[in-house]
Amino acid sequence: MYQTVVGLEIHIHLNTKTKAFCGCQAEFGDEPNSNVCPVCLGYPGVLPVLNEEALNQAYVVARALDCSLSKRTLFDRKNYFYPDMPKNYQITQFHDPVGRDGSIQFLSPDGTVKAVRIHDVHLEEDAGKMIHAGDMSLCDYNRAGYSLLEVVTEPDLTSGEDAEAFLLSFQRLVRYLGVSDGNMDEGSMKCDTNVSIRKAGEPLGTKIEVKNLNSTRFIKKAIEFESKRQATALDGGQKLVQETRLWNENRDVTESMRTKEGSLDYRYFPEPDIPPFVPDAAFFQAIEKRQVELPLARRKRLTEAFQLSREQADFVTEGRFVADFFESAAKAAGGGPTAGLAIANWLMGDVQKELNHFGLSLETSPLTADRLAKLQILLDSGRIHIKIAKQLLDAVFEEKKDPEVLLKEKGWEAITTEEQLSPIVDQVFAKNANVVEAVKAGDVRQKGYLVGQVMQATGGRASPALVNALLAKKL
Amino acid sequence: MDIGELETTAALAQIDLGEGDLDRLGAAVSQMLSYFEKMNALDTEGLEPTTHALVKDNRVRPDTVVASDLADALIEQAPEREDRFFVIPNVL
Amino acid sequence: MSAPATAWKQFQSKKKAYLDYAGPWEKKIGSFLTFRPEADPVPGLGAGPLSGLPFGVKDNIAVEGFPLTCGSKMLANVVSPYDATVVARLKAAGAFVIGKTNLDEFGMGSSTDNSALGKTHNPWDIARVAGGSSGGSAAAVAAGLVPFALGTDTGGSVRQPAAFCGVYGFKPTYGVLSRYGLTAYASSLETPGVLSADLDLVRWVFDTCKGRDVHDQTSLDAEALPPKAVKTIAVLSDLADLDPEVKAVYEHTLSVLKDLGYALLPVTLPTLEYAVPSYYTIAMAEASANLARFNGIRYGHRPVYAENPEHLVRQSRTAGFGDEVKTRIMVGTYVLRSGFQDQFYTKAQKVRTLIRRDLQSVFDRADLLLSPAFPTPPFVHGDASMNDFQQKLADKFTVTANLAGVPALAFPAGLAEGLPIGMQFTAPAFGEARLFEAAAAFAARVPVVPCPGTSLDWSK
Repeated sequence: MYQTVVGLEIHIHLNTKTKAFCGCQAEFGDEPNSNVCPVCLGYPGVLPVLNEEALNQAYVVARALDCSLSKRTLFDRKNYFYPDMPKNYQITQFHDPVGRDGSIQFLSPDGTVKAVRIHDVHLEEDAGKMIHAGDMSLCDYNRAGYSLLEVVTEPDLTSGEDAEAFLLSFQRLVRYLGVSDGNMDEGSMKCDTNVSIRKAGEPLGTKIEVKNLNSTRFIKKAIEFESKRQATALDGGQKLVQETRLWNENRDVTESMRTKEGSLDYRYFPEPDIPPFVPDAAFFQAIEKRQVELPLARRKRLTEAFQLSREQADFVTEGRFVADFFESAAKAAGGGPTAGLAIANWLMGDVQKELNHFGLSLETSPLTADRLAKLQILLDSGRIHIKIAKQLLDAVFEEKKDPEVLLKEKGWEAITTEEQLSPIVDQVFAKNANVVEAVKAGDVRQKGYLVGQVMQATGGRASPALVNALLAKKL
Repeated sequence: MDIGELETTAALAQIDLGEGDLDRLGAAVSQMLSYFEKMNALDTEGLEPTTHALVKDNRVRPDTVVASDLADALIEQAPEREDRFFVIPNVL
Repeated sequence: MSAPATAWKQFQSKKKAYLDYAGPWEKKIGSFLTFRPEADPVPGLGAGPLSGLPFGVKDNIAVEGFPLTCGSKMLANVVSPYDATVVARLKAAGAFVIGKTNLDEFGMGSSTDNSALGKTHNPWDIARVAGGSSGGSAAAVAAGLVPFALGTDTGGSVRQPAAFCGVYGFKPTYGVLSRYGLTAYASSLETPGVLSADLDLVRWVFDTCKGRDVHDQTSLDAEALPPKAVKTIAVLSDLADLDPEVKAVYEHTLSVLKDLGYALLPVTLPTLEYAVPSYYTIAMAEASANLARFNGIRYGHRPVYAENPEHLVRQSRTAGFGDEVKTRIMVGTYVLRSGFQDQFYTKAQKVRTLIRRDLQSVFDRADLLLSPAFPTPPFVHGDASMNDFQQKLADKFTVTANLAGVPALAFPAGLAEGLPIGMQFTAPAFGEARLFEAAAAFAARVPVVPCPGTSLDWSK
C-alpha cells in the first residue's frame, strides 16, 4: 500500500487597483490591450515600479500563514520566452521572498484539524492572455503585470480530499483577509500540484507535477487519478520520471506534456531595477493591524460559543462578511446558543430564500445584522409570531426599512391578550350568528370555521392557542 | 567551447546559429568566457555580491491608477494585428 | 552665459545659414540616424540657459515621435510613443530635439561601427572612428551640429567617444539621471550622459535633468558632498600599455595639474585589471535579459512568415541582431546558466564589491582620480589591432566608474598628431561638482581646441 504525498503551488491575483509594476488599471473585462502602457508591454526603455499595496498584501498573507517575514525582500528575474510575456522574463522573488517557513491548519473532511507547512510566499507578475483562433493566436496583454501572489506548500498533504479541503480553506482565508477573490472560475486563483507516492518508511518518491486544474474539484480527482496511475506503474515494475502532466478535464486523466530538455533553466538573478525593500517597525505594525482571526479559529470559537452544528459552522464562517454578520446578530439577539441557533437558522433558511428571490448577496441586501437581531428579539418577546416574522423579513427586503418601523406601519403587532382579541371575536360572531348558534348547539365541526375566520380577521396576529382559548370561553 | 553548450545557450536565447555563426560567434563567445576566468585569480571569499549599484531608500509607488493614453498608439506598432490583438502563429 | 550657448540661441534666426553649414558636415560624418534640423522649439517654454537650444539624442533614448532604433535592424521601424525623463525635463526647460544620433547597436561597442543602420566618422579625421557607443553624439557635438547631445554610458560609452572627438563627456553618479527612456543594456551599470564642447552647458544640462523620477525606482536626488575645494588628485602609478600619443598628453596633463597647485598622489588600484572581466560579465548577463523582450511580437522586426511562434521569435532575433549583440547575449545567457552562475556572474559581482572598496579607499585619500580616458588615440575604421575583443580590454579606465556607480568626466587634454586625446577625472559618488571644478581649472590653462573646419558662426 502506498502513501500519497501532495504539495500545492497556489497563485492568487491580489486585489490591487493597479498592476504590480506599473500604474495600469488591474481590471477585468475591458477591451483587449486597453489597460496597457509602455511598461507592461515591454517597450524599450521602460522600468518596473513596485506597487506598495501589492507588497503590503503579500506581507499580510505571509503573516497570516505564520511565515518568517523577510527583513530585506528582493525581486528576481525569471528568464524564459513565451509569447504572453512582454519582457520574456518574469519579475518574481526567488532569493528573498516576502515570507518563508510558515504553517496553517485546515479542517480535513475526516473531522480532524491538520497542519500544512508553507515553504514560501512570494510576489510576482502575471503574463498576458492568448486566444487561439484557427491558424493564429491572439495576444492580449491587459492581464500582463497583474499582481500575483504565489504560495508554495511543503508536501504535507496526503490525499486528494485533503488537498481540496485545504485549497478551499486557503480560498476562504484570502477572502477573509480581503486580498483576493480567490475565484478559480474567474482565474483569480490557480493551483498546480505535485504528487508522489511511497511505501511507509521509505524516502519520497518521484515528484510529478500536474497542471491545468481549473476548478477545486479537479484537484481531488487529479490527485486520486495520479496516485493510482503511479501505483499501477510502480507495481508493474516501471520507473517513474520526473515530469509535468496536464489534467484533461474531459477525460478525467492526467496526460504527459511534451517536455523539452534543458529548456527550464530560468537563470534567476536579482532584479537590478527594483531596490531591495527593508520593512521598518511601522510597516510590520501595519501588517499586524490587517490580520484577521483566521477562519478556522473563528469557526472553533463560534461553534463553542453558540453550539453550532457542523453544517451551521460551515455556513456562517464561509466568508468574513457572513461570519461578522452572524456573530454581530447573534450577540445582539442575546448571545448564547439559543440566539446563535435562531440566527443561523434564519440565515440558512428564509434569509437565503429572500436573497435568491431578490438576486442579492448578504453584503448588498437591506438586511443588516442589527435588523435580523431585532426580528429575532421581536419573535422572542412574543410581539410577533413566526408567520408574521417571515412576512416582516420579506418586508425588510421589499421596503428596505427597519423591522420595528415596519411593524408599526403595518400594524402587525401580535394580539396577545383576550382583551385585544375579544372585540374581533365578537365581530366575527356577529357576522356568523347562525354558525355560532350551531356550535353552541353542539356542532363541533363548525368551530374550525370560526377559528379560521377569527385568524383571518386578525391577519394572523393572534396565536391559534389564544383564539381557541377565547372561543372556548365565549361559546 | 563545446558545440553542444553553445547550441543550448543559443536556444535559451532564442537565436539561431547558422553554419558560419557556429564558428565565428562560437569563437567570440569562447574568447570572452576564457577571459572571464581571469577573475578566479582574485580571492573573493566572504564577500557580498553587489546586486544593486548605489540604491538608497525603499521605493514604492502608491496603488493609484495612472491612466496611460498610449494604448492605441502602442498597438499601432504591432507588426501584425487583428482588431486590438497582437497576432502570432497559433501556439497550440 | 558662455559664448557658445549665446551663439546657439540664434539657431532659429540663422536657420538657413545653419542648414548650409550642417548639410555638408553631416554628409561627411554621418552622426545622425534621424536629422530634423527644420524642427523648431516650442515657444514660451522656459527662459533659462537651455531655452531655445537644439540638441541631439542618442538613438537608444526615447524621444516621442522620433524613431528609437538603437542602431539595430530589430527596431529600425519603431517610433517612440513617449519621452525619456531626461528628454522631458530638457524640453520643459525650452530645449528641443533636432535629431537622433548613431550608436553601436544597443550601445554595444567602442567605435559606433557596430551600428546596423549607418556609419559615423570622426570629424577630426573621417578615416577614424568617433568612438562608441555614443559616437554619433560625440561627432555631432564636435562638428558643431548641436551645442550638446545626450548619450548613454554603460562602461565608458559617453566618455570614450567624447575623448575621441575632443569634447567633454560626462557620466553622473548612478541614479541621479533617470534611466527611464534609456533602452536597457546593463541596468545596474548604465546612466544617461552629456556631451558638449562647453563645460557650462554640461553642467546646466545636468542641473536641469538631475533628481528622483517616479518612473525609475533606482533614481536618486543629487546629494551634495560637504563643500571642499579639490586639493589632491590621485594618479595611477602603474600605468602601462598606453600608446605613446596618449602617454605624452597624459604627462603634460600631470604637469599642468601640478602647476595649477593640485597635489598629485600616486596610487595603485590592484583590482583595476579585474574590472574589465567583472564589468563585461555583469553587463552581458543583464543584457541577455534586457534584450529578451525583442521578439517581433509587439513591435520591431518580424519575418514575413513563420510556421509557429517559436520560429517567429527566433527568426526575428536572428535577423534583427548583429553579431556583436548576439555574442554578448549568448555570453550573458551562459554566465547565468545553472551550474555556471556562481563561477561567473556571482563571482563578478563579488569582484565588483572589491573594486568599489578599492576605489573608495582612493577617495579616502584624494578628492579625484585622474587617468586617461582610453589607452589609444581614435583608431581607424577596421583597425585590426583594435578588434572587438581588444576594444573591450581597452575599456579598463572607464568601466570602474560604472562598477562603482560614481561620476566621471572625460575632458579634452590636448592634441597628438592632430588628433584629440582625452583625459578623465573620476569622483566619489555625488562628487560631480569636483569634476566640473577641476576640469574648468584645467581648461583655463589648456583651452578646448575646436575641430578644424567647424564654426559657431554659420554665416561665415
